[in-house]
Amino acid sequence: MIRNYFKIAWRNLLRNKSFSLINITGLAVGMASAMLILLWIHHEMSYDNFHLKKDRLYQVWNRYTVDGKVQSWPATPKPMASAIQRDYPEVEHTSRVAFLPPVKIDLGEKKFYGRGKIVDSTFLDMFTFPVLKGNAATALNDVSSIVLTEKLAASIFGDTDPIGQVLKLDNRDNFKVSAVVKDPPSHSSFEFQFLLPWAYLRKLGGNDENWQNNSVDTYVLLKENTSLTSIAPRLKALRQKYDKSDPDMEAFLYPMSRWHLYSSFHNGKEVGGRIEIVRLFGLIAGFVLLVACINFMNLSTARSEKRAREVGIRKVSGAYRTSLVAQFLGESMLLAGISGIFALVMVQLALPFFNELVGKSLALQTREPLFWLFITGFIGITGILAGSYPSVYLSSFKPINALKGGSKASKTLIAPRKILVVGQFTFAIVLIIATIIVRQQIRKAQDREMGFTKDNLVYHFTEGESASNYRLIKEELISSGTALSVTMTSSPVTENWSNTWDIGWKGKAAHDKTLVSRFYADEAVTRTLGLELVAGRDFDLTNFPADSGAALLNESAVKHMGFKDPVGQVIKDMGREWHVIGVIKDFIISSPYHPSEPMYIGGASGFFNVIHIKLNGRNPMKENIASLLSIFKKYNPEYEMNYRFVDEQYARKFADEQRTGTLATLFALLTIVISCLGLFGLASYMAENRIKEIGVRKVLGASVLSIATLLSRDFFKLVALSFVIATPIAWWAMHTWLADFPYRVSIHWWVFALAGLAAMVITLVTVGFQAVKAAHANPVKALRSE
Amino acid sequence: MLELKGIFKWVNTGGNRVFLLKDVDLSVKEGEFISIMGPSGSGKSTLLNVIGMLDDFNEGEYTFLHEPVHTLKEKHRSALYKQYIGFVFQAYHLIDELTVYENIETPLLYQDIKSSERKALVADMLDRFNIVGKKDLFPTQLSGGQQQLVGIARALIAKPRLLLADEPTGNLNSKQGEEIMELFSQLNKEGMTIIQVTHSEKNASYGTRTIHLLDGRIDN
Ligand SMILES: Nc1ncnc2c1ncn2[C@@H]1O[C@H](COP(=O)(O)OP(=O)(O)OP(=O)(O)O)[C@@H](O)[C@H]1O
Ligand SMILES: [Mg+2]
Repeated sequence: MIRNYFKIAWRNLLRNKSFSLINITGLAVGMASAMLILLWIHHEMSYDNFHLKKDRLYQVWNRYTVDGKVQSWPATPKPMASAIQRDYPEVEHTSRVAFLPPVKIDLGEKKFYGRGKIVDSTFLDMFTFPVLKGNAATALNDVSSIVLTEKLAASIFGDTDPIGQVLKLDNRDNFKVSAVVKDPPSHSSFEFQFLLPWAYLRKLGGNDENWQNNSVDTYVLLKENTSLTSIAPRLKALRQKYDKSDPDMEAFLYPMSRWHLYSSFHNGKEVGGRIEIVRLFGLIAGFVLLVACINFMNLSTARSEKRAREVGIRKVSGAYRTSLVAQFLGESMLLAGISGIFALVMVQLALPFFNELVGKSLALQTREPLFWLFITGFIGITGILAGSYPSVYLSSFKPINALKGGSKASKTLIAPRKILVVGQFTFAIVLIIATIIVRQQIRKAQDREMGFTKDNLVYHFTEGESASNYRLIKEELISSGTALSVTMTSSPVTENWSNTWDIGWKGKAAHDKTLVSRFYADEAVTRTLGLELVAGRDFDLTNFPADSGAALLNESAVKHMGFKDPVGQVIKDMGREWHVIGVIKDFIISSPYHPSEPMYIGGASGFFNVIHIKLNGRNPMKENIASLLSIFKKYNPEYEMNYRFVDEQYARKFADEQRTGTLATLFALLTIVISCLGLFGLASYMAENRIKEIGVRKVLGASVLSIATLLSRDFFKLVALSFVIATPIAWWAMHTWLADFPYRVSIHWWVFALAGLAAMVITLVTVGFQAVKAAHANPVKALRSE
Repeated sequence: MLELKGIFKWVNTGGNRVFLLKDVDLSVKEGEFISIMGPSGSGKSTLLNVIGMLDDFNEGEYTFLHEPVHTLKEKHRSALYKQYIGFVFQAYHLIDELTVYENIETPLLYQDIKSSERKALVADMLDRFNIVGKKDLFPTQLSGGQQQLVGIARALIAKPRLLLADEPTGNLNSKQGEEIMELFSQLNKEGMTIIQVTHSEKNASYGTRTIHLLDGRIDN
């Protein structure tokens, strides 16, 4: 029986080559799109799932209530971990993780760079990063021990055994390799190349006991058979016990399973986070697959006349309806199977591009039996989805009617088929509109006045002696003609590292907790960054040594602080006074989608991490860079100079939205291609089925145009209907999407008109081709075909 | 074997009720070979389809092998049909995508018959109709007479007790038609009950009894 079905299915496939081709192409493209998205979703969903104790692991977060609004963030004071360990018997272990900037690693004469973390000795016990060499229990006990990942160990030591070898970090301390662990997988929230013991931080004097310095991450492993609900209420008292200064601050535990996808809080509640994108793309995957399946449904039912006779004969031969349903499902399964194989090939070919697009390294796990199980299931589901309606429809024919050839269904679009086509085009039009609006939004943010000049501007994170030799470096950069001006700042001009509401000025309202950004610069900051001064002057330590305690305000700050005459005012921050000497226009330091925050730029007595260099635009860039590198080499010989272009960094602010835009465009195109394939097939079947009518009409004198119109009119009605349905859906979806951007485009009516027009043109091309071809056919031939 | 009593069948078209069958009474005994004749449009095919349970009727009683067909559920009715009735069509109605062998085999697939047994049954049929050499050909590669032979073989493969044939020779030349009729009377002699629709007096003469239909009514 099964063999017989299979045989029929296979022969049908070969006999109707164009039908099969359209169906397989459409299904394969749809399946490939869905597979790619599912691959990505799978990766997103699998974050941190490799930790054996994942169900008992938590990160400590804070909740802080200001003006009735709740803020949540994960940084904690350093003494919190031991306090939790001491006060809560449910806790098995705690571990702190401290941030470490990239460091230089020396093995004798050889230099390497790596990113690492400082962690408590319990880290390797709590989290599952399997130790390949060395002893996990003691690896982080000694102050001068270092744990390397497999990859870093291999790049430093090659084949020699790294255990016991000595490395020098940042020209300061020696560390002995105590263990090698497996690299954190790509779905790990922790990323590191090496781990240093907490004892080292203590040795550096960085282990303060200050409860108000929220500077590290704290993780908790609960004992087995304990529950979060038992510890959570008592944890609220923790902060109050050790730090009475802020009664509105409390700690809570955030479970590992939610770290990656859900950790976006608004007013103390989880509001989604990445899971929203995951859901959105899941939805898109489902729809693209559905659109492909709809093609199959439409073409199968359009072909029903050809299959009706077979159905009749089989019924007369004693077939029950169920066996016919099974037969047609078998056919769609076969088709889905073939398409699935093509889809796998397409996915394999498309993965490198897709990975680049989403910034991942996804791969088909072809060695995993589970993968094949999933693929089989996926094909099965696609087959059932595609075959469901046709099999029910085709098997419903009454044998005598079927044998008489009575079904007139395929000459016009019958209702269910109309609904399906409308569904396809609605989805396509929504995607077109979304694509246009996402692109408009990106363009709008890109066109926004930045407030600084990014051309020829590079920055450098100070390391080694580049900070202490800053003066010399600066002088030589300028005297050599490499740079026009140089300034040292607290953070890159594209990153906002620090803000506070604990800042004072004359006339500040008592409960004002608006955040003010902090930024520091030594000298020539407006000149180097290209900021626009609207009042006062820039820092100038040569002529005004007191400028180390001076400040510039941006216009938002002036407005917020209500200064009529800002120059000469005094602001207080972190226990010192800053004298305002100038005002600059707002510049975009954080998000181009958000209005600028109030900001003050403090002078040379602030803290500094970055050197900004305005290169001389008259020299070729290559020469500038070569000279830059050699000057830094001279004054900081141990280090390879790192530099970044501000324009590149600025462009990265748009990466997320650009990715959304590119993906939306991609899937819009795919949906359109698949829908058009279906429309093309449908139109050709209908033309074929009406070949006699067309012949008669032509003999009676109908023009090509009138016949082409006759054949395509129905389709245009459907596309018009799709447009009517798609418009409110798209408006709502894009309105919701844009709501996340305070700085956003407004939705214009012409976007909808354009999308509608595009859909019409696409339909015209697809259907019109068939219609004109049919209308041009020789009428005599057409009539003879009966 | 079967008995029709007061069968009416009608369709409603545009408010008018059009009768296709009017008060048809018919009793068929096991082993009869009946020919139904009548002008075009008189309802011959309709009657045959009703007997074959492919079509419903609106009024009357139909008993088939002591089962009251008019009261049976669809499922039960097709089971009855599947077991006892074979159908032959004027237009042959073979499945183009299947070979001769597979076409003949089709009804067996819908009955729980083992593959080895199926093979034997189909081989018997091919043998009997002298078409062993054609078993791997597709219908389009056969002449009309050969196609009808395959159609009859398919109708007979499940060993029905009643064979219904709607103008089985309508598309054939006279020589091919004669062969088919010879075959039918042979089958009838072996005990098969046959009801055929025909336009030809000559073909009707092969039967044991002729029924004349006129405007959906049996004309005595
Ligand atoms: N579904 C239907 N609706 C309306 N009229 C029908 C329907 N089916 C059959 N008829 C009519 O019923 C009458 C009998 O049809 P039937 O096919 O039984 O005739 P027939 O005797 O077999 O004719 P022929 O010799 O041409 O095959 C015809 O007039 C036909 O038009
Ligand atoms: Mg007839």
